[in-house]
Amino acid sequence: MFLELAKRNLQRAKVRSLLAVIGILIGVMAVSAIGIFGESLKAAVVQNFEDVANELIVSPNFQEGYKYLEEKDINRIKKLPNVAEAIAIKSDSLLIETKKKKSYAVVYAMDEKDVEEMFEAEKGSIRLKSSCVVGKRLAEFAEIRVNSKITIGGREFRVAAILEDTGARFDINPNSAIILSPEDFEKVSDVGYTMLIVKAESLEKVDDVKNEIEEKINIRDEKVVVFDLKIILERIDEAFSQINVFLMAIASVSLLVAGVSILNIMLMSTIERTKEIGIMRAIGAYRSTILKIFLMEALILGLIGSGIGSVLSVVGGYLIDLAILQDASYVFQLSTLLYIALGFCIGVFVSVVSGLYPAWKASRLEPIEALRYE
Amino acid sequence: MKVVELIDVYKIYSTEYYEVRALDGVSMDVEDGEFVVIMGPSGSGKSTLLNLIGCLDKPSEGEVLINGVETSNLNDNQLTELRRDTIGFIFQTYNLIPTLTALENVELPMIFKGLGREEREGRAKELLRSVGLEKEMNRKPNEMSGGQQQRVAIARALANNPKILLCDEPTGNLDTKSGEQVMEIIRHQNEELGVTVILVTHDPSLAKYGDRVIRLRDGKIESVEHVS
Ligand SMILES: Nc1ncnc2c1ncn2[C@@H]1O[C@H](COP(=O)(O)OP(=O)(O)OP(=O)(O)O)[C@@H](O)[C@H]1O
Ligand SMILES: [Mg+2]
Repeated sequence: MFLELAKRNLQRAKVRSLLAVIGILIGVMAVSAIGIFGESLKAAVVQNFEDVANELIVSPNFQEGYKYLEEKDINRIKKLPNVAEAIAIKSDSLLIETKKKKSYAVVYAMDEKDVEEMFEAEKGSIRLKSSCVVGKRLAEFAEIRVNSKITIGGREFRVAAILEDTGARFDINPNSAIILSPEDFEKVSDVGYTMLIVKAESLEKVDDVKNEIEEKINIRDEKVVVFDLKIILERIDEAFSQINVFLMAIASVSLLVAGVSILNIMLMSTIERTKEIGIMRAIGAYRSTILKIFLMEALILGLIGSGIGSVLSVVGGYLIDLAILQDASYVFQLSTLLYIALGFCIGVFVSVVSGLYPAWKASRLEPIEALRYE
Repeated sequence: MKVVELIDVYKIYSTEYYEVRALDGVSMDVEDGEFVVIMGPSGSGKSTLLNLIGCLDKPSEGEVLINGVETSNLNDNQLTELRRDTIGFIFQTYNLIPTLTALENVELPMIFKGLGREEREGRAKELLRSVGLEKEMNRKPNEMSGGQQQRVAIARALANNPKILLCDEPTGNLDTKSGEQVMEIIRHQNEELGVTVILVTHDPSLAKYGDRVIRLRDGKIESVEHVS
């Protein structure tokens, strides 16, 4: 019945209630939609790193005078628990000669299957039998084409493939490099292993693997340095969470404005209905009953505004994602629901808090004063 | 038994510039089942007196007892309960809630009392029938005549079976015929059901309904007449 009473009072001032609802709605929408967008942005960035996030990079500790990784250590790491795969890589800077150019470039030694797994050929196909694959940027710079011949460290190789641009990577970056098979590499360079890419079985196992490696290999001396890419993922996550909180704080200003408008509307309503409050007090309404009736009104405004705002924030989030990220699929993730729930709760909370003062004021009216009011 | 007792009651409104003694030392009793008419010129303190009896206001000095209970010792919730359960108010301007229908207006005091839906609806309908408004039950106040609104207000005042009915110029805004209708209902409550009635009026023709007429002037009781 109090609900009914509150409903009718809101209906009585339709335009005013509508404005309050719109205020809350916009506030909730701003908060949720921006939350959703922020989360989408994070998801988009994180996705780029996800396939490398379970990687660890083991390098020789130059500071302690270790130039290369020892083969027995590599084999030991390969056998550690929770290690899915370990790719040992040699790299050296060698003189490259084509018909037109001469320059130094990084040359990696990798197994053909590892190369195939990690990179895509843009032209040609990845073959490392007496042939090499060349990174895109180097190919452009030195005008290298598939099937052309290049001289690496004094030996001639056929170019089997040009690799696709790999973008930024944290392990190895063949964009400006050449990849040879380990056998061919030995013919042109005598360096040892310079890097070991270790893939943990899962993201959760990364720390275990890291500890294992450090424990087993660095027994007497700090022979190797282990760097895990998970840290990067964590940093990104952290940075974006902060950005998101900041964005939402800005969006909250609109909720604050909505709260003030509810406060204003409710205050007007209490003044207009002073007489009614007096009547209700005269026929047996407690102060707390008056408080309840007015809070109920604020709650209804909040629920309607936040409800519609939540629904619209999905649309809003979708549109922002589409406009800025060109991909709205991130809207359909669990965190979206979380932000909608958050926006909804904040909206309702703001409404009720804004209604608190007018409701309290209404309940404090002396019955006789209220009755005399015209 | 005295249902209402006023002991040396003062109500003083003071501002910076003036002081109004709306009630200036009033003592009076009302017996259970009595019908008291309070008369007096405008500004003599009639409404002030009635509001004190109805626990809507507090005296500046003196004591108001309802059913033998000193109201100055009661807290706001207890006073509210007294108004809800023991006292029924009828105002000159009806004072219905405009958003509620006649039926809902009558239900309101019972809602405040916490009665269940069926019980209060049944009682509200019965009350409206008894004041001749069964057909207007679902109308809002602004869809009813003054006389009809006042009868709704009476039904509302009677909702929780009050012991005391306080009427402040209940016929003041009504034509003669509606006024008589309203007075008949009030008289019926008093005579048939033993409800104590205290009625404030300007209208000398209403004096005949009372067992006793108290005349106020300048906040003081000028005279008390017993009507035989
Ligand atoms: N809130 C108030 N503040 C100041 N003075 C008041 C207040 N209420 C009443 N008064 C004064 O108290 C006196 C008594 O007022 P009251 O309303 O009781 O008169 P009344 O007998 O009911 O008059 P009427 O017949 O016109 O209704 C008046 O002089 C009035 O001006
Ligand atoms: Mg008066």
